[in-house]
Amino acid sequence: MNHWPTLVYGLFAMGALGVYCLLPRAERSMRAAGAVLGAAALAGFLVLFARYAVSPQGSGVVFLVSGAIAIAAAVKVITHERPVYSALYFVLVVLAITPLLILQSAEFAAAALVIIYAGAILVTYVFVIMLAQQSGAAHYDRQSREPFIAVLAGFLTTAVVAAGIMELPVPAGGDPTAMGGEGPSNTEVIGRVLMADYSAALEIAGVLLLIAMIGAVVISRKRVPTEDVVESRTPGMIGREVPPY
Amino acid sequence: MMSLLEDQFWFSAALALVIFGAMMTAVAYCIYFERKISAWMQDRKGPNRVGPLGLLQPLADGGKFLLKEDIIPANVDKPLFVLAPAIAFGLGMIGFVVLPWGGRVDVDGDGAVDVIAQVADPGIGLLYLLGIGGLAVYAVVLGGWANNNKYAFFAAMRSTAQMLSYEIPMGLAILVIVLMTGSLRLEAIVLSQLGGGNVWNIVHHPLAFLILLTTLFAETNRTPFDLAEAEQELIGGYHTEYSALKFGLFFLGEYAHMITGSGLIVVMFLGGWHLPWVPGLRPEDVSIGAMVLKMSVLGLKIAAFLFLFMWVRWTLPRFRFDQLMRLSWKGMLPVALALVCYTTWLVYVGRATDIRWTLGGNAVLMAVVLVISGVLGSPITGRQAHMPAVRMFASRPAR
Repeated sequence: MNHWPTLVYGLFAMGALGVYCLLPRAERSMRAAGAVLGAAALAGFLVLFARYAVSPQGSGVVFLVSGAIAIAAAVKVITHERPVYSALYFVLVVLAITPLLILQSAEFAAAALVIIYAGAILVTYVFVIMLAQQSGAAHYDRQSREPFIAVLAGFLTTAVVAAGIMELPVPAGGDPTAMGGEGPSNTEVIGRVLMADYSAALEIAGVLLLIAMIGAVVISRKRVPTEDVVESRTPGMIGREVPPY
Repeated sequence: MMSLLEDQFWFSAALALVIFGAMMTAVAYCIYFERKISAWMQDRKGPNRVGPLGLLQPLADGGKFLLKEDIIPANVDKPLFVLAPAIAFGLGMIGFVVLPWGGRVDVDGDGAVDVIAQVADPGIGLLYLLGIGGLAVYAVVLGGWANNNKYAFFAAMRSTAQMLSYEIPMGLAILVIVLMTGSLRLEAIVLSQLGGGNVWNIVHHPLAFLILLTTLFAETNRTPFDLAEAEQELIGGYHTEYSALKFGLFFLGEYAHMITGSGLIVVMFLGGWHLPWVPGLRPEDVSIGAMVLKMSVLGLKIAAFLFLFMWVRWTLPRFRFDQLMRLSWKGMLPVALALVCYTTWLVYVGRATDIRWTLGGNAVLMAVVLVISGVLGSPITGRQAHMPAVRMFASRPAR
């Protein structure tokens, strides 16, 4: 048990090195080495946590598999050269996290994540990228600007979080079979908490979204010149002067 | 064997297999009936060469899909090109698991309820269906983009904007029923509509029913909302470059989506497996026979809605894109919002299931909508009469 932190931090360092090699760069490519290192670090974590795989209803296996998929897809998000694929791997990350939330009996959060993130926000991302970038990868996609500092910052943060988690006792975890059971459902509890304890925050968030929506309408709205306006202007100037609406 | 079925896990597995098979068959025969119904409406005969009445036509079509050359054009984004039909088909085929097919069942007949005739009954059944609907957009976006065809991408763009816009009134219409029922579980929504003088939700909230029905047409890209497949403008839509089984998977996905959507609307507004005044369809009837009866009733209701989908397709012309957007944002969204606010107030004063208040509120809201549209003087979907045509280059001198 004593060498547990050493093992975890060692795997983190290995993963960091792998991601560093995987990041796109202009000169010689070290992607193969990076992929091997990253896969080895991930496999190391899987071996480390393998004893949790033995659990009722196979929830441990689900946890390990979807966790591994989420991590691998997250690495792909930042290392892939084509932004469309990056966005799609982001979708995969969201979908892979969903089972983890369900295992914690947080099925409402899982559904909200899929509907809001994957179903609405990321569709817009994918769409904007597809419209903005029709052919070829741009310079900033083929070469990451500060790979070393970025990897260092990211993995140090993760290591700090992991250190905090290792201090905690191993939790019993939610019972995934309790979803359809008796008592107030997960959704009900969230609703009560939001409405009773955090009603001010909820209202402020709602007003903020409303302001954003009004701003979007104001920005996007242009008055289309109608016939009488057209008559009074010289042909070349039509549409040049759009009065603020 | 029967004792195995008393366990919910094995019962769910068996039910999933049975319903999956039924859905595959239903999807194949949907295409047959689509052609037969269109022929009937247009005074033709329709498919009648393969087998009696052309009944083996789906088999021939399936064989054709399998045996045709599967072309992947040059310059396509190959991984995404292959992924798109897989997403369309896969998502179409996992939606049915939360539909309540037959209530509670006593498998061995010892008087104790063993299982629930539903593959899964999560506390978020409705949100699961909404999530699948949200993910279905990816099939269209990826399909349209990956095949590197401008027209297909136009179609995908239209289709995505349409699906995202119509999800909002759809969610609000569903919210009305969720507020009334107080549960996201589909089985609970069915049970809330029967027994003890309760009526189907369509009687409580006909406006919400209309909104959900309309948005379902849009979500499944069916006429009058099939702008993604406007042949006159966009060749064949987002699946223009697809051939053989990949094209077939898009089709199967669309019909599976229709079946799940019909199931959703039947469960939410038409009492699911319930029929009034028919014995054997009460929640207390838990025998295997009752379950089969309930499943047939639900299946028949879904079939009726599928017929409605086809009927509308061969009757109504297609919307223009601006009409489509106006209908969603200026038409259905305000009505749905008003309905949600009203229902919230009803829940607050404790009259959410009082038919005089729900139906009365719907009638008043409908009257208000009619008055407003009368004052505006033009239908929400039409060209507005007071808006002169945009003639950008009217005064440009001839060269």
